[in-house]
Amino acid sequence: MNERENRDFQAGLEDEVNAFLRGEPTRRTFIKRFGQAMGMLPIVGGALGSGVQWALAQAKMELEDPSTPLGKAQALALKASTEGPADGSAFRAVEAAKQFAGVNLNMTYEAGLQGLDPRNFSGPLWEELTGIKSTVVELPSPDMYSKPIAEHIAQSGAYDILDLQPQWTPALADGGVIAPLDDLIAKYMNPADLEDYHPLYKALPTYKGKIWGLFDDGDMFALYYRKDIFEDPKLNEAYEAKFSKKLEVPKSWEDYAQVAQFITDQMAPNVYGAGHFRKAGSPGNQFDFMQQFRSNGGAFFDGDMKAALATDIGVKTLQNMIAANKASIPGNEELDAVSLWVAWLQGKIAMMYSWPPTGRMSAGYSQSDKAISFIPQSSIAGKVGYAIVPGGNPEHAFGFNKALAADSANPEAAFLFMQWACSPPVSLARCMLPYALRDPYRISHFKSELYGELFPSAPEYLANLNASANVGLLDPIMPGAQDYQLSLDRMCTSVWAGTDPMEALKTAAAEWDATTENLGVDAQKGFYQEFLKLPGATADNTVEKLGMAVTL
Amino acid sequence: MMTGAAADVGPKDGRQRPSARTSDTWFKWLLVAPAAVLILAISIYPLLFSIWVLFVNYDFQIPGHAFVGLKNFKQVIFDPVAVYSLWVTVALSTINVVVEFLLGLAIAMAMANTFRGRGVLISVLIVPLFISPIIVGQVWVLMLHSPFGPTNYLLSQLLGYEVTIKWLTGFPWNFVALILADVWQWTPFMFVILLAGLTSIPPHVYEAAELDGVGPWQTFWYITVPYIAPMMLLAVTFRLLDAIRLFDTIFIMTGGGPGTSTYSASYYLYTIGFTQFHLSRATAGAWIFMILTLLVVFLLVRRLLTMESK
Repeated sequence: MNERENRDFQAGLEDEVNAFLRGEPTRRTFIKRFGQAMGMLPIVGGALGSGVQWALAQAKMELEDPSTPLGKAQALALKASTEGPADGSAFRAVEAAKQFAGVNLNMTYEAGLQGLDPRNFSGPLWEELTGIKSTVVELPSPDMYSKPIAEHIAQSGAYDILDLQPQWTPALADGGVIAPLDDLIAKYMNPADLEDYHPLYKALPTYKGKIWGLFDDGDMFALYYRKDIFEDPKLNEAYEAKFSKKLEVPKSWEDYAQVAQFITDQMAPNVYGAGHFRKAGSPGNQFDFMQQFRSNGGAFFDGDMKAALATDIGVKTLQNMIAANKASIPGNEELDAVSLWVAWLQGKIAMMYSWPPTGRMSAGYSQSDKAISFIPQSSIAGKVGYAIVPGGNPEHAFGFNKALAADSANPEAAFLFMQWACSPPVSLARCMLPYALRDPYRISHFKSELYGELFPSAPEYLANLNASANVGLLDPIMPGAQDYQLSLDRMCTSVWAGTDPMEALKTAAAEWDATTENLGVDAQKGFYQEFLKLPGATADNTVEKLGMAVTL
Repeated sequence: MMTGAAADVGPKDGRQRPSARTSDTWFKWLLVAPAAVLILAISIYPLLFSIWVLFVNYDFQIPGHAFVGLKNFKQVIFDPVAVYSLWVTVALSTINVVVEFLLGLAIAMAMANTFRGRGVLISVLIVPLFISPIIVGQVWVLMLHSPFGPTNYLLSQLLGYEVTIKWLTGFPWNFVALILADVWQWTPFMFVILLAGLTSIPPHVYEAAELDGVGPWQTFWYITVPYIAPMMLLAVTFRLLDAIRLFDTIFIMTGGGPGTSTYSASYYLYTIGFTQFHLSRATAGAWIFMILTLLVVFLLVRRLLTMESK
């Protein structure tokens, strides 16, 4: 130690001793307290973790007045869970799950309204029935795909139950993110439960001969139109004078654009003929293209697994969509689904096609809950009619399967929650929640008298959803679905901005081919052939055309 | 290094014992260790891991991690969207930084002299810096939305005819919208740095120039600019490095659209990495992007250091 170092050391030592004598923290006390703090971390961390978990877990259970249709449905769900019938899936699930009391299940839900059901209803009720706690992990839509993958790669075991779009099933099953349910279904579920699914939805979680989830959300597009406008005598007269035919709810996409343009010409700026959610990533473009393209007779791939988009059918589809855009509310290409709902509920649009909550919001039922106050009150309640979308083949856009995370530490408890939540009586009560974005999917839902009492036109609404499912089309369920659809969204938005439809189709087709080659042409061909076997894969093999249509 | 003599010296003569010195040395390392471990864990390890990912398949939809050589790089280099997104990045970051620099300089010059309310005005001017880019993007979406935003309405009132510009979905207005949002948020950054430079110029230099009859333009060009040139370069360097990462406002305002027309390199990498989950391709793209960025950084830093040494 040289002289300077020695001087520094002495000064430091003196400071430390003086500080000690004054009772101030010294380096020694710092190290000691630091060590103590580190030692306390596991204890504090545990307590903190529990506190955070508690805070993030579901809120207090909210049950409706038992005299209301929803209250009655909730009471029936509770009864089915506690009293039986003993062979019912809800009862079986609750009884079997009691052995796992104290376990906590982490379940992913789409951020926002979707998470309210497990927070306010199904999660607390399940805990009361079984002692199993649940933590809702809300994720933005794209993250519902990517986060489970990231957690699986990290082997974190972060999730037990995953809400997944059926189109992701092949990728996640092959990647080992989700586990097959066949054994658990055989062990716990009443097989009749599977038969209660509408045929369009029943096969959705099946992949390579195994069941990878329980379907839980009938996201069927349907046409919603203003009856008062279509019944207006003056408008009818003018339409007949111009086109020599009656003003009717359009059955073809050409008629749709024509009727929309006529209404816009007659009633704008008070009311416009139509509106769509065309904003990039909103995500409406790909669904609309897929339903129109297939109802026009298009196929996604040819025999060699080359993209078959850049065809006359593709051009016709895009031209129809452009015509509909022109006939729509200004700003149509910048609207997302929620903005479109706002315009619709304010009475600015005569026709729109979208997901089933549109019907419940139109009737003003959804807005009865404060959670959905960001949507305006309906100014069109009682004026809305329901129909199958023009072209006759609506898209089943998205939908959700409840899937079991392969890395779950509590797979049986997780499966039992899934079985219980998706069982007929419990799923009905969940679909009837005003803030829920879970839409009817079981035959028993469509036939439900209690659901039919929710708002005056609910029986027609349910009948239309069922009829739409009978002729509905599925999103392609195969690896690369995400990539294929992203290309379609890009293609559409570029056409809205002025790109020639054929050019845009060629670009999208090239992207599709690159995706297919990347994933392996033969492998993709096999997956596509499997997809084509599903009811609803094409306009030629809908549930109805396969003779499996459900009549109520 | 400790000498034998030093090691033998005891505490009585005022020197440190060997055990105390050892403790001192270890204590230093103990203090540094958490930061070092953190850096190793969250920077060095992922960086090394990414080098492995570059040469294997790490695409979630293709099982296994087979060695693929340079395929990942090839896929990025020959992807027209990747190349286009690079040009968008170059164009947007250049325009943004140039406009922000010029505006920032103009405002800084205006604020260099003291006047009543200057403090309040400066505080207001720098507010955008503290707002999250996501919120900035959302605000501009609301402002520019067609037809619900007020911009087209105000323009219509001003011009006397109906303005129906599609700010977010029509070319070239979508680019104008992105530049507007970026310039609004980041001009204050340039302004603050350049103002600091301007206020550091000794007033007597200007006084001398004035006595010599030097005009305003010459004063600016031959006194102000040389004095604040290092600050200018610093501001441009910092801002450029940030601008080439442009992502947030694109994500909120245009979603990369229409088509892929507003894809920046960051947005492209995000899309293939975290929307499509082609992780190895995204990693290759990120490395290419990083190398290109490093070239720019190298040139700018070298220039900065050269200027500093003068």
